[in-house]
Amino acid sequence: MASVTITNVWKYYGKTVAVKDLNITCNDGEFVSVLGPSGCGKSSTLRMLAGLEHISAGDIHFGDTRVNDLEPKDRDIAMVFENYALYPHKTVYENMANPLRLRGESEDLIKKRIAFAAEMLEIEHLLQRKPMELSGGQKQRTAIGRAIVREPKLFLFDEPIAHLDAKLRARMRGELKLMQRRLGTTMIYVTHDQLEAMSMADRIAVMHNGVLQQFGTPQDIYNHPVNEWVAGFVGEPPMNFIDCDIVDEGGKLHAVHSSFKVALTEGHAKLLNGALRDKSVRMGIRPDQISISVGSGSGVDGRIKLTEPLGGDTLVNVDLKGADQVLVKTNPDFSGAMDQACTLTFDTSRWHFFSKETGVAYF
Amino acid sequence: MASRDVVAYKTPLSRIWNIFTVVFIAFYLLWTLLPLMIMFFSSFKDLLAAFQLPPVGAFSKIGLFFDFTPTTKHYYNLFVNLGFSTYFANSIISAGGSAIISVVLGSMCAYALSRYEFRGKPDLFFWIISTRMAPVVAVLVPLYAIFRGADLIGTKAGLILAFTTFNLPFAIWILKGFFDNVPYAIEEASMVDGSTRFQAFRAILPLVAPGIGAFVILCILFAWNDFLFSSIIGSGGAKTLPPATVQLVQPQNIQWGSIMAAGVVTTLPMMFLGLLIRRYLVTGLTMGAVRE
Repeated sequence: MASVTITNVWKYYGKTVAVKDLNITCNDGEFVSVLGPSGCGKSSTLRMLAGLEHISAGDIHFGDTRVNDLEPKDRDIAMVFENYALYPHKTVYENMANPLRLRGESEDLIKKRIAFAAEMLEIEHLLQRKPMELSGGQKQRTAIGRAIVREPKLFLFDEPIAHLDAKLRARMRGELKLMQRRLGTTMIYVTHDQLEAMSMADRIAVMHNGVLQQFGTPQDIYNHPVNEWVAGFVGEPPMNFIDCDIVDEGGKLHAVHSSFKVALTEGHAKLLNGALRDKSVRMGIRPDQISISVGSGSGVDGRIKLTEPLGGDTLVNVDLKGADQVLVKTNPDFSGAMDQACTLTFDTSRWHFFSKETGVAYF
Repeated sequence: MASRDVVAYKTPLSRIWNIFTVVFIAFYLLWTLLPLMIMFFSSFKDLLAAFQLPPVGAFSKIGLFFDFTPTTKHYYNLFVNLGFSTYFANSIISAGGSAIISVVLGSMCAYALSRYEFRGKPDLFFWIISTRMAPVVAVLVPLYAIFRGADLIGTKAGLILAFTTFNLPFAIWILKGFFDNVPYAIEEASMVDGSTRFQAFRAILPLVAPGIGAFVILCILFAWNDFLFSSIIGSGGAKTLPPATVQLVQPQNIQWGSIMAAGVVTTLPMMFLGLLIRRYLVTGLTMGAVRE
């Protein structure tokens, strides 16, 4: 087991920059998820950690060892690939035995380790099958099994459950987290699914266009996104963004939009320290931080455009005055009809303000 | 899954087309199989019987063709008096040897061309295949001079080298396609598992086995059937079957029976290999381990 330190790492493909000046420190035994959309540089980062790609600039350390010039086989890592990458001509047992065989381990040890891994992953009955005869979930378990028999210093998972169906994915999230806690091995887990990152990781590194946006605990990233991009990427359904002005009225700051005027809380006003007075900002609020009631009342007036009952929740699309639209997540008892007038109340303690120019969060 | 059958509807035109197809296939079979059949039967016939042919158009007397007492004297003559066992062995050794060398070097080169990006790669790749574009005759004289200089004329080693010159580019060209179809992830997994690049290459070899198998046989076929190289470079000590057969044609005595027998001896082994190749070519490549 080891900590991982990524220091000022860059990755170029020709003239294209895939990773820009990346700095991440991952503690021993920690589960770190690298989250971002496709093309954000997260897979390049993982492949540099594995040694499958050269590091263009910067250093990567495992513990105290600089690994830049080590071959994959000398890094003592295990990796699980997005498409499983099993050896098609070998049985599940032989697939799992391969990394141990390559290290010249004894047959007894191989047997013992595979028995342990197979029991943990519940694939004992599949050991004599070939990959062709396995379902997606079973192949993925085999690939994970091949990684854990090694007892490596570091696990690298590259979107391992992205190809599974939704139900199995939900189950595997829990199982993977449990497995990592049991083994206590440092894990770097790349995914584009914010739900996976949020539910499994100790800390999340959010990447966009090759740049690390934010590195923190899931709660931190959800509650205090550092910029508009992170706020919009993390959370499902995504955060609503509305342009409004900060106006001083009678000594109190208000967020003013053509359809509402809402006072800022004392705390927020203090944080802003009057700096944004008479400025236009982008307000962000999550769908579950808005409450909705049918008919007009004291609050933000809107008109119901569409309701989507999901069973446990109901999503309501509301048109505000002007061109803006907000998505509200409410309880399933909500019974608004299309085109009906409604009133929204914002949970002003939990909204966010972002700079319109740079997207950086004010708080 | 939906049916993958091609839906066809019967129209007057399609009926005519069907009849045409059957007639065409019948003629095609006659065209390809008849010479082989005549060769096969004639090799077991006495010279007199071999030239007993029914008159043109007299289909009722076709039985005359099959009316003979089988004799193996031509085969006996071939192997005992004319030294064909040596030529047969030469053919096997030179064709097999060149196939093995081509496949070993070819798969390594194809792997490198498939996996590594470097400057001038398209040019290199084109150069490799372009070596097969010039007709062999065009380079035969200089090649002969080089081979004579290296004292390789009339040796099996020389012949193997000569066959390899045309088999290797072909091997690289075909095998690169097979390697291109193997996902990188499998060898990357192997390298992370703890293998070197070369071990990773060996780890994916089973995935290209159908390609290699088919290709070994193709190489053997090409070398086995080659006439030009074997008659010029193999002349003397390393004569193979095709030039040996031609030598049965002598100005005052064309040994028809032995020629037919030599034809059978040359053709049969390759026909069996042809049957093998079929099985290899239809085998799937990645066998479903990698989800694309």
